[in-house]
Amino acid sequence: MTMTATPGAEAQAPVSPAATLNRSKVSTRDVKVYYGEKQAINGVSIDIPEKTVTSFIGPSGCGKSTFLRCLNRMNDTIPICRVTGEITLDGEDIYDPRIDVVELRARVGMVFQKPNPFPKSIFDNVAYGPRIHGLTTNKTDLEELVTSSLKRAGLFKEVKDRLHEPGTGLSGGQQQRLCIARAIATKPDVVLMDEPCSALDPIATAIVEELIDELRNRFTIIIVTHSMQQAARVSQRTAFFHLGNLIEEGRTEDIFSNPREKQTEDYISGKIG
Amino acid sequence: MTDVSAPTPAASEPKSLLNLDARTTRRNAAERRFKLYGMMAVSIGILALAVLLVSILSRGLPAFSQTFLKVDIYLDPAVLDPSGDRDPEAIAKVLTFSYDALIKDSLTELANELKAGPAPDLTPDLLAGMVSGSANAELRRYVINHPDEIGSTVPFDFLTNARIDQYLKGNVTLESAETDSRVDPAQLRATDALQRAGVLEKRFNWAFLTNPDASENRPESAGLGVALIGSAYMMLIVLCLSLPIGVAASIYLEEFAPKNWMTDVIEVNISNLAAVPSIVFGILGLAIFINFIHLPNSAPIVGGLVLTLMTLPTIIISTRAALKSVPPSIRDAALGVGASRMQAVFHHVLPLAGPGILTGTIIGLAQALGETAPLLLIGMVAFVKEYPAGLPEGLFQPATGLPVQVYNFTQRADPAFVERASGAIIVLLVFLVIMNTVAIILRQRLERKW
Repeated sequence: MTMTATPGAEAQAPVSPAATLNRSKVSTRDVKVYYGEKQAINGVSIDIPEKTVTSFIGPSGCGKSTFLRCLNRMNDTIPICRVTGEITLDGEDIYDPRIDVVELRARVGMVFQKPNPFPKSIFDNVAYGPRIHGLTTNKTDLEELVTSSLKRAGLFKEVKDRLHEPGTGLSGGQQQRLCIARAIATKPDVVLMDEPCSALDPIATAIVEELIDELRNRFTIIIVTHSMQQAARVSQRTAFFHLGNLIEEGRTEDIFSNPREKQTEDYISGKIG
Repeated sequence: MTDVSAPTPAASEPKSLLNLDARTTRRNAAERRFKLYGMMAVSIGILALAVLLVSILSRGLPAFSQTFLKVDIYLDPAVLDPSGDRDPEAIAKVLTFSYDALIKDSLTELANELKAGPAPDLTPDLLAGMVSGSANAELRRYVINHPDEIGSTVPFDFLTNARIDQYLKGNVTLESAETDSRVDPAQLRATDALQRAGVLEKRFNWAFLTNPDASENRPESAGLGVALIGSAYMMLIVLCLSLPIGVAASIYLEEFAPKNWMTDVIEVNISNLAAVPSIVFGILGLAIFINFIHLPNSAPIVGGLVLTLMTLPTIIISTRAALKSVPPSIRDAALGVGASRMQAVFHHVLPLAGPGILTGTIIGLAQALGETAPLLLIGMVAFVKEYPAGLPEGLFQPATGLPVQVYNFTQRADPAFVERASGAIIVLLVFLVIMNTVAIILRQRLERKW
């Protein structure tokens, strides 16, 4: 149904210095997800290029969040969930039994739909990841890392005087940016965002979107969104999911202006969804 | 949409909000009725509680005061320290029996004094009968602790006989004394005179909280000391065992265990165990801890183990509820930044569930503190006159517990024990109220918003 420019090539030759810009970071082949007996994802193959924003769009219940959660194995926490197929990060199978899921999640960070800061101080929220992974050796480094993460998340100016107040006291949009700061503080390669703006007002949404655009220089970002406008605004590549199938994937301009599939066109024009 | 209600009148005429139709009136009446039922139910509850409290307090409070007789005792060195060198060992060798003579001498002197004054029909024998049988032991304990007082005259407050005490509390009358072998009406008449003279005095009786149990012959010196120690030891065991075991089990079941038929069976059984009558746990304790493992009878260790088994389901259920109430988004957040399952639980979930766990534990402990039935079966409803030793040997020595002490007191006929039973209930209730208050305060203090 859909393929990127170099299908399958990445699996054999993961590092190819000449193609760094669009090298695929995450690749999946025929991924199927089952919740008990029910199949939620019917064989999705996609290559997600490095340092770009890829958005997953589609109607509710189409499996885009489920698929996203496979990419850092957050689905492991759901006992009845079963994943088949192959998902690789930099050419390594992330469902390999030898893979440590903790290590994986440190490299593939996640931002959730509802802002979920820990009921701790702003500083501790951001410092938690670096602390458990031992990313810094002393207090100065840690403070440095927290500050830079908050700056990168565009939150530092607003909270610099109250780093030791609870993160739960911030507004919704600030909390979500705090969660983004927390996710990027562990220095991940990939950041997964599951409808990060659905609980935010338009102004906070605009700030977060701007932030996503800036983060693309450093991270590979995959964002699930309900809003087609948001996908069009923030992403370079878009994948359209419907009923557990990946219908179409390609450059965002192409998907929105010139979709190849009828279903995509119907969804984008508002006929289904 | 279709209109299911009665045909509406012409819409042109506006209906006043002040005119209620029959349906609304009926609905409002039903609501008022329901509120009334609710208030009645609450009032019945409050009334029952008030009756309970008033009856217990009115019967039990007198147990906290006791009548004392003031006597000056000459600590005769010829009797107490024949060698004269104040050697503690030699003093300790003097038997309780030898002190009787000292007391008798002082009482005879006092009786003669009083006979001349306020109590003309008092004889030395009658006065001696008014003093508790525990007086000699009390005097001996004092002398052993204060050897340098030997040779001087020391003012003493001896407990009076329980009958005298009950007479002042109104439970023994001159008529009832006529047929009572343990008290002479003359003693009661003397009591009035002595009280007026200030020789007899009723005051707060700490010994009720510190003394061990006493026999029918001297109910006035019976106290809750051994029961309090026994209960404290048992609570210590329950806390040290059931909190870690219960919390670990709940965390495993809630956060780590796979959800399959086995965990379902375990879950159902934990709920069932919480509903098992406590006496069943007593039988279990008797069969396993005493008959099979051969732990000593009546020992706090056995009581504590049995109560632990009984408390575990309560703690597990409340801990699991507390863990369940932590929003899953917190777990996701922790796992999402690469925390392991255990880190997610110990760094984030457990602190948030802490207040709930603590409350459940304290309520479980309070339940265990008040439990009687299982202790009856493992021999803790015994007559224990010796304090158990300190920790840890004390755990293996005979003791009783507060609730079984209440049961024990109610089995005895003397009115002094009746009031002691209620007094012990008051002590038990005070502890329960304190524990529940602590639970509430901790919950409010530690509860955090997220």
